[in-house]
Amino acid sequence: MTVRRFLIIAPAIVSLLLMLSYFWVPTYEEQTRGNPDRLVHFITSSSGDAAMLNPILSADSASSQINGLVFEGLIDRDENLQFRGRVAHSWKIYEHAYFYINENAVTARWGQPDPSALVSNLRAAMDPHTVEWQHVKAVELLPPEDTTHTFSIREGEETKTITIRAAGPQRVRIVLDQVDQMLFERLASLLGNSYFDTFDPSLYVSTDQEMPSAQLNAKARELLPPTAHNPIIEFYIRPGVTFHDGYAVTAEDVKFTYESIVDPKNLSPRIPDYEPVKQVAVVDPLTVRIVYKRLYSPAFATWGMGILPAHLLNDQVLAEEATERGQNPDEFTMRQSRFSRHPVGCGPFVFQEWKSDQYVRLKRFDAYWEGPPNYHEYVMRIIPDSLTQEMEFYAGTIDDYSVQPHQVVRLEKDERFQSFSGTAFGYSYIGYNMRREPFNDLRVRRALGMAIDTQKIIDYVLYSQGEKITGPFVKQTDFYNHDIAPLPYDPQGAVKLLAQAGWQRGSDGYLQKNGKRLAFTLITNNGNALRKAILAIAQDAWKKIGIQVETDLLEWSVFIQKRVNQLDFDAMILGWSMGIDPDLYQIWHSSQSGPFQLNFVGFSNPEADDLILKIRQEYDHERQVDFCHRLHAIIAAEQPYTFLYISRWTALLDRRIVRAVIGTDGRTVYKPIVPTKTGGYTFHFNQWIKLDRPPEFSADG
Amino acid sequence: MIAYFGKSIIQKVVTLFFVSVVSFLIIHLAPGEPSQIDPLNPKFTPEMVARMRTEFNLDKPLHVQYLLFYKNLFTGRIVSWRDNLPVLGKIWERFLNSLPLFVVGTILTWTFSFPVGIRSAIMRDGVYDKSATFLAYLLISIPGFFFAYILIILTVTKLHVPVIGMQTFGVTSASPLVQIMDRTWHLVLPSILGATGGVAVLSRYVRSQMLEIIGQDYVRTARAKGLSSETVYYKHALRNALLPFVTMFGLILPGLIGGSVIIESIFSWPGMGRLAYEAILGRDYPVILTLNFITAVLVLAGTLISDLLYMVVDPRIKL
Amino acid sequence: MPIAANPVDPMGTDETYMPPSRSPWAETWHLLRKNRMAFSGLLIFMVFFAVAVAGLAVTSGKDPFLDPARVRLQEKLLPPLASPNTDTLRAEELPALGIYILGTDDLGRDVFARMLQGAWVSLTVGFVAVGIAVGIGILLGGFSGYYGRQYIQMGHILFWLLLIAAVVMAFQQALSAGVFLAIAAIAGWLCKKQHDRRLSPLPVYLKWLALPTIKVDTLIMRAVDIMLCFPSFFLILTVVALLPPSIYNIMVIIGLTSWMGTTRFVRAEFLSLREQDFVAAARALGISDARIIFRHIMPNAVAPVLVSATLGIASAMLTEAGLSFLGFGVPPPHATWGNILSDGKAFIFDAPWLTFAPGLVILVVVLAFNLFGEGMRDILNPKLRERN
Repeated sequence: MTVRRFLIIAPAIVSLLLMLSYFWVPTYEEQTRGNPDRLVHFITSSSGDAAMLNPILSADSASSQINGLVFEGLIDRDENLQFRGRVAHSWKIYEHAYFYINENAVTARWGQPDPSALVSNLRAAMDPHTVEWQHVKAVELLPPEDTTHTFSIREGEETKTITIRAAGPQRVRIVLDQVDQMLFERLASLLGNSYFDTFDPSLYVSTDQEMPSAQLNAKARELLPPTAHNPIIEFYIRPGVTFHDGYAVTAEDVKFTYESIVDPKNLSPRIPDYEPVKQVAVVDPLTVRIVYKRLYSPAFATWGMGILPAHLLNDQVLAEEATERGQNPDEFTMRQSRFSRHPVGCGPFVFQEWKSDQYVRLKRFDAYWEGPPNYHEYVMRIIPDSLTQEMEFYAGTIDDYSVQPHQVVRLEKDERFQSFSGTAFGYSYIGYNMRREPFNDLRVRRALGMAIDTQKIIDYVLYSQGEKITGPFVKQTDFYNHDIAPLPYDPQGAVKLLAQAGWQRGSDGYLQKNGKRLAFTLITNNGNALRKAILAIAQDAWKKIGIQVETDLLEWSVFIQKRVNQLDFDAMILGWSMGIDPDLYQIWHSSQSGPFQLNFVGFSNPEADDLILKIRQEYDHERQVDFCHRLHAIIAAEQPYTFLYISRWTALLDRRIVRAVIGTDGRTVYKPIVPTKTGGYTFHFNQWIKLDRPPEFSADG
Repeated sequence: MIAYFGKSIIQKVVTLFFVSVVSFLIIHLAPGEPSQIDPLNPKFTPEMVARMRTEFNLDKPLHVQYLLFYKNLFTGRIVSWRDNLPVLGKIWERFLNSLPLFVVGTILTWTFSFPVGIRSAIMRDGVYDKSATFLAYLLISIPGFFFAYILIILTVTKLHVPVIGMQTFGVTSASPLVQIMDRTWHLVLPSILGATGGVAVLSRYVRSQMLEIIGQDYVRTARAKGLSSETVYYKHALRNALLPFVTMFGLILPGLIGGSVIIESIFSWPGMGRLAYEAILGRDYPVILTLNFITAVLVLAGTLISDLLYMVVDPRIKL
Repeated sequence: MPIAANPVDPMGTDETYMPPSRSPWAETWHLLRKNRMAFSGLLIFMVFFAVAVAGLAVTSGKDPFLDPARVRLQEKLLPPLASPNTDTLRAEELPALGIYILGTDDLGRDVFARMLQGAWVSLTVGFVAVGIAVGIGILLGGFSGYYGRQYIQMGHILFWLLLIAAVVMAFQQALSAGVFLAIAAIAGWLCKKQHDRRLSPLPVYLKWLALPTIKVDTLIMRAVDIMLCFPSFFLILTVVALLPPSIYNIMVIIGLTSWMGTTRFVRAEFLSLREQDFVAAARALGISDARIIFRHIMPNAVAPVLVSATLGIASAMLTEAGLSFLGFGVPPPHATWGNILSDGKAFIFDAPWLTFAPGLVILVVVLAFNLFGEGMRDILNPKLRERN
């Protein structure tokens, strides 16, 4: 009997013991059960591990996510994507403009005055009370400079080192309190239209060896440019901002960060952003001045780069670390330093711990200048499997989840979660090679675009998680021109347009012109199922209006190297991922349409070229926006691409996460998390906190 | 007895030697190179590859590599190629993680198989037996990971509790009781999954053993004597039917490594199976070979133990 | 009641000594019909076999009737029995059956077509792997059981070494040397054979060739022991991961790592059968070894082997699914149930049919094999046969 009883009771007890444990496990609804600290921890997940926690060296998204919390830059963008001060409380952008006295030129008003007379004449002519000259603060005559430079040129097989001496004439400096890209055009009205153009720099240079005159002239122009804009940014650093180890953030750290980026031995992927910088100077411990070689407005945004602590990474410290670890100090760089695994910055969170392939843990920085974040801890778990991420989110052990397109419909309405969505910073398009027949005809390009039902692509291929787009700017920025209507889906209209262009339907059902069929090949890379589907849909749509379309799926490297870069294609499907900045020079300027350049469709429009240059030289936001809207309209009218869509992302958060703000009366007020105008929902992250039950907000919010 | 014991140990050592040779050959003769020394890996310069090769002894002839490897293994100096940590330390750490899973799984297997198997035998060909048999086959036939996902979906969508990992992530400030219970909860699903196959096989085995014993004359005699069927089945028959199972205790040892790869991957359980899987993915030869060697030792030790146990429990066997 | 042939009345007219009214096959069939679980297992197996063959026919070729590889991104993750959206599909993209019987996967491929294709692949994997295992098992087990007591002589070892060396050389671009060695080995073997036939003792200087070294049985059984020391799934995983992914590698490796059970089993059968009277009689009649083995012993040993092979197919299919799940399975473009399942698991909350269709089908088919195999084992095992 006892045996029998034992045999029945034993499994019962074992199962009971195991099942009992369920009552202690925190569920999604009661994440704090026995674990109150859960409310002050934010846990997120990443599919890949961080690579390097040094903002100037990292290039992967997991590292950037952590670096963004540990480090902080001088500036960043606010809810409306406008710049705002972070470590710098304010800044000033002004300009030094230079030109060389052209001794041979005859000015329009004053004949051929000597340099000092010219300057005083200018001073007198530039009335600061007029709109035209209100920004000019000073006009100065600089003494001539005599400099020598050495450089090497290749001549056949051998390289020659040449010393060049540049002894320019006197130079005039104009100080403006605002950057003015039209300054020299205006000056030309005073000095004569050819004053700057006729300045011949080659008269002022001499070399120690013979060199071809074309090269010499180019070099001379580089050393003695007739005119030069030197935009200057001065940042005023917020007093009292410290690194996590208590050292104050000073202008020296900013300078050090810049120098580390441009130091070739660090192999920073961000070197190109800082190439236009001429000089970074420390004015006083809290003021740093950056002088640029030329007008280049996108450069301002690069100062959002996290600031490195110089005292932890300077050459001396690195050399000590190298010796300590038994490595050659000459080969030891920031990349090898243990700093990349134990970063120290001045951001809202302090680095705590990094377990490879498991998690990165951060603690809030109590001395953060804006007040410490509400969350005490931030943890990024590394979970490669998306299903595991999803399950962990449902179980409440991850606080946010990026929804995949096919899940949006199911999860958006789920009452346990709050969902946010926005559009991505990139678009997909079909690009036409405008150098070739028949794409050199605008009517054909328009017709091709009108034949494709983009809405269908968005609905069926993207699960409706996408939006139409009409031009090359990021849709949520001011630069995007919302007045432009997307190309209508109108196959009949397309047929008519093609008929206008001379393409008539032949007896075989295909469109013909002069006995030639309208036929071309549409290509894209394989391995991207989305593009493959678009390929099929486009081919089918065009076939319906009588165009014979061949399609080809190519290996990515072949597609890019052999076809796109060599400009050997008719039409192709590709996507661009954009930054917020409206600089379109590389993709749309006609000078960039050679092989291996990015304007592979060969778009060329003089007005657009002019606008593109103006946009990248304009420091005033309003004017930039005007230029962009105009440019957007031109590109939309020209249809060098059929712009297809931008995709939408959706993210979920636990419903109990809210913003806790201290109101004017000193009491904590809970507010719902609302996405900013641009769709970003993490903007107020430092105010987030999790409550133990879903909050109810009063109607007024 | 002693002589048998000695002979058996010698035989097992020889087998072990051949196992080590065979596994070494399999690993080293397979095409491809570990990524650390793969000349096609863009992360490494040819000099680095050459240095790695020297460091891992890969430039030496095969038999020298073999001797060096096992020398290092026995002196405990063998290190993983991936992170240069001692292999034995890594395995020990993972072993401690796998142990609770193994223990709970084994307890489940053994406590459930016996009642089910015995009852099946007693109620032979009845509805209970038929359904138990069918259920056993069902459990053997279900792909483990499919079953795992069904259980996970049910738990996650109905109960909203975490099931992945060894404990709930972020349970840091909880009391020890909560932490222990939390860990226990995380054991439930993986150990149930680990036990399904075992329960099915073992209960069938128990059933057939019992059937055989019940058919014996002495059991019939006992019943004829008028003893209650309870006493006959659970006292006389069971005791004899249990004999072979004692020996099985030895044979469950190797299960520590082999059977858990899939379950540990699904549950992100940092145990030995997962270590093996990661080592295979990374072609971390020292870890693979060491794990293989340890398993072989466990198998051989298991058979030895089961032989011994058999001698202890069955007085008829005198060696 | 054992039935003996009646020497008095070979015609069997006597009522008491009726020979079995049914042949052994009919008897087995009768018992199988009575075992409902085993019988339904057999039925399912036959259906599965038919489906696999039909699946091969409709999904392969240049322009298959059901194309398992056709990607239709417009039709992603449609539930079972959904109809295609005719607006967005070209005529040749429409599913041949008008609806997606089992829905579509994340690339819009027809799951039903993929399952059909997978049926044949899974079947092949199971059968080939088990075929290899059973082949090796019968060979080694038979050897071990029949010739087990004989010793391997030095001459044998020399012969095999030469032959192996010849093969190695042939592969190392030394073909002529290899051929020479092979000829030498075979010539030596023929000489020895001639010598044995004449029953004359070996010359003294060749005596060492006949030196006994180790028993055949011991050798084979030690090899089995060695193989059993490897944890099988771990071993398969290691080898599959090291080799380039290919469906053949997987079949061969599963086969090469699962012959030990059959070997032991066949050996035991042979050991008991060779002591039986009918074998002794056959040997007394001077029948050759080969004939005894294949005509007399094998038929008696083969039925249980086939039963265990049935179970082996079930476990090989599960192993393949497990390998696919870990990412080491049959590589694309072959669809197998295992990789449909493992691809589908990421969509388990949104498209459960991608997990459940292959999961349930694997379950049912493996269950059928197991039920049939176990049922047959019971039927063939007189000890467990129902006493009636």
